[in-house]
Amino acid sequence: MNAALTIAGKDVRQRLRDRSAILMALVLPLALAFLFNLLFGSAAAPRPFRYAVVDLDRGPIAQAFRTDVLDPLQRDGVVELRAATSAQEGERLADSGAVDAVFVLPAGFSAAAQSDRPASLEVIGSVDAPTGTDVARSIAGSYAADLTSVRLAVTAALGDGHDGEVPAQQLATLAARAVAAERPVAVQDVSAAAKLLDSATFFPASMAVFFLFFSVQLGVASLLDERSDGTLRRLLAAPVPASAVLVGKLLTSVIIGVVSTTVLVVASAVLMGAHWGNPAGVGLLVVAGVLAATGVTALVASLAGNAEQAGSWGAVVAVLLGLLGGVFVPVAQVGGVVATMSLVTPHAWFLRGLGELQGGAGPQSVLPAAGAMLAFAVVTFGVAMLRLRKVLRP
Amino acid sequence: MKVLAIAWTNLRRTLRERISLFFVFVFPLLMILVLGLAFGGSFQPRVGVTVLDNGPLAGRLGDRVAAADGIAVRAVASEAELVSMVERGEMEAGLVIPTGYDRALAAGDTATTRYIARAGQQGQQVGAIVNGAVAQEAGRLRAARFAATETSTALPAALARVDGITGRLAAVTVQTRTVGTADVPADAGRFEVGASSQLLLFVFLTSMTSSVALIETRRLGISRRMLATPTSAGTVVTGEALGRFLIAVFQGTVIMAGSALLFGVDWGDPVAAVVLMVVFGMVAAGAGMLTAATLRTGQQAIAVGLLLSLGLGALGGTMMPLEFYSPTLRQIAHLTPHAWAVDGYAELVRRDGDLASILPQLGVLSGVAAVLMALASWRLRRVLTR
Repeated sequence: MNAALTIAGKDVRQRLRDRSAILMALVLPLALAFLFNLLFGSAAAPRPFRYAVVDLDRGPIAQAFRTDVLDPLQRDGVVELRAATSAQEGERLADSGAVDAVFVLPAGFSAAAQSDRPASLEVIGSVDAPTGTDVARSIAGSYAADLTSVRLAVTAALGDGHDGEVPAQQLATLAARAVAAERPVAVQDVSAAAKLLDSATFFPASMAVFFLFFSVQLGVASLLDERSDGTLRRLLAAPVPASAVLVGKLLTSVIIGVVSTTVLVVASAVLMGAHWGNPAGVGLLVVAGVLAATGVTALVASLAGNAEQAGSWGAVVAVLLGLLGGVFVPVAQVGGVVATMSLVTPHAWFLRGLGELQGGAGPQSVLPAAGAMLAFAVVTFGVAMLRLRKVLRP
Repeated sequence: MKVLAIAWTNLRRTLRERISLFFVFVFPLLMILVLGLAFGGSFQPRVGVTVLDNGPLAGRLGDRVAAADGIAVRAVASEAELVSMVERGEMEAGLVIPTGYDRALAAGDTATTRYIARAGQQGQQVGAIVNGAVAQEAGRLRAARFAATETSTALPAALARVDGITGRLAAVTVQTRTVGTADVPADAGRFEVGASSQLLLFVFLTSMTSSVALIETRRLGISRRMLATPTSAGTVVTGEALGRFLIAVFQGTVIMAGSALLFGVDWGDPVAAVVLMVVFGMVAAGAGMLTAATLRTGQQAIAVGLLLSLGLGALGGTMMPLEFYSPTLRQIAHLTPHAWAVDGYAELVRRDGDLASILPQLGVLSGVAAVLMALASWRLRRVLTR
């Protein structure tokens, strides 16, 4: 064990002096995470829909739409409202993309809505804001459905044979009662916890786990370097068991991985305001992730003929697992087959585990994700050990 | 002819490594595939609906929500599963129609459904659409219940009566129309946007990272040996430049042809699309050569190359459409060659433009290419002849 520690200690010190190693393991992921968050963070955040209201009617029903329906939505921050004076102006605003949609309440709308004549309000949507237009249509549709419902209620309550012969007085009281009738279906808002990473956490997390698969190569792959340089033979000639050499190299990978990821976690929390969640949970995920990455890298190294091959195959594996695991494209949120397939990568489990920690969950919530990554580590280590023993045979 | 020999050797050296074939050709096409599968087509917020009551009214409400415009609705079996999908971001929101929905309505009580969303604006916006669908059904139920009370009939009879009137009665309606020209036309394929952005991202990336070869050439003394032969520094520099450029164009051609054949990507006017790729290839070759002439080690070149090509690519709109940027950021983005090329492909692919309509973009990119090539040649000549 002492020999393994000596080898690991020497290797780690050697890597710490290598400036391009630090560039790859720390500077690059942090810089990219910072840049991606800066560029994409604000663009990905939803904004209130911007609507213009053109009230050509100025009657009570049109005003109620503004005060009872739209204003509360504006207070909740769901929409931003502005007034426009004409349908043409509203159309221009939607055309230029200055607003997402325009509500036009035509002249005579209130009078028509209160009679039994057809009445209609108009939504003009910007073609580039399909969801904003659909939301506007739903808001207006909801209001129109309420108005229609009153008509339906009055007509249905009159029973057969009363069409057209009902005194206005009776109609008015019926309508007033119908308006007062309660809506029989309520929608209760239940807020769900967000087990999702915000962009200030997602980008450092995804870059950290992506580059982790490169930085751990610095340990295991050096076994192949030592073999081609002939220093491995000298090591084996010394009173050092072969297993100690292997453990030392693997330990180097684990130390480099844990240290670089920890630095990234702390640096992103301090510099970018990343919310990683419960430290014990994050620690568990980092250790499990580093072990999985080391296992994968050891497996690749055991299959490669020389250090150069190990490096380039390792890069291919890291990039493919990263792509599938949702480092470049958030596949977990896209759903479907790709999301299920992504669970064969440690990357997806790492990000999912961090998601579970959002909202103040304790370290036990990451156990499934950490377990999956450890299983990955055990399998890859197992195969790699069997094969690497051959490399170490003198 | 020596120029061509040097250039040809450069291209062959890159293509001989099987690993680089993966990063140069396979990976970009994979990215186009995944991006197309993930984001292709029009995006609609996803809403899960869990109907726990098996009464007819509950089923009807579920159908109403499923038919709502602007959301993609999927049935989810249990509430726990629905909540977990919303929490993980696999769905934007969910609606639970609880057991006892029909009974509550029949008894004259208020039936309460549960709308599940993560805190934030998107949940509220999707909520407006779900509320709209519920309001349609609630309006029908309210009218029927009012009539049932007024005429002392049972709810099912009153509902039948309301449904009978609905067609005849003049309703309050909403008319919707859209204005403006779409940023992305409705008939655009799901791989189109991804294809041109990945083309630009990877042509630049390859030029930057493959500049390692030029650094190796310098470090191993190959360039010095070339200069010892009757070959002028100018020839070596021109050959190296041509080599970088050939690699970029070869990669660009494979990505364009591959995505067209494999995923049916429509690149718009073929001549203009190729010319734009070639001009961008010159920019990329110039940037790669400048990197190789400036940095000392291959590892530095890989790190700087990755950072610059991913950074400029991100800023230039090859990872997220420029339309999503704020106006200021969009102006800053146009400091990168990527943004100009992205604009060019947008013109070709989305607005059916031709060579004439992308002349401004071609002009800017040619200028950038000329400056980069001149700088790189000057710098490379200096380090070679030092």
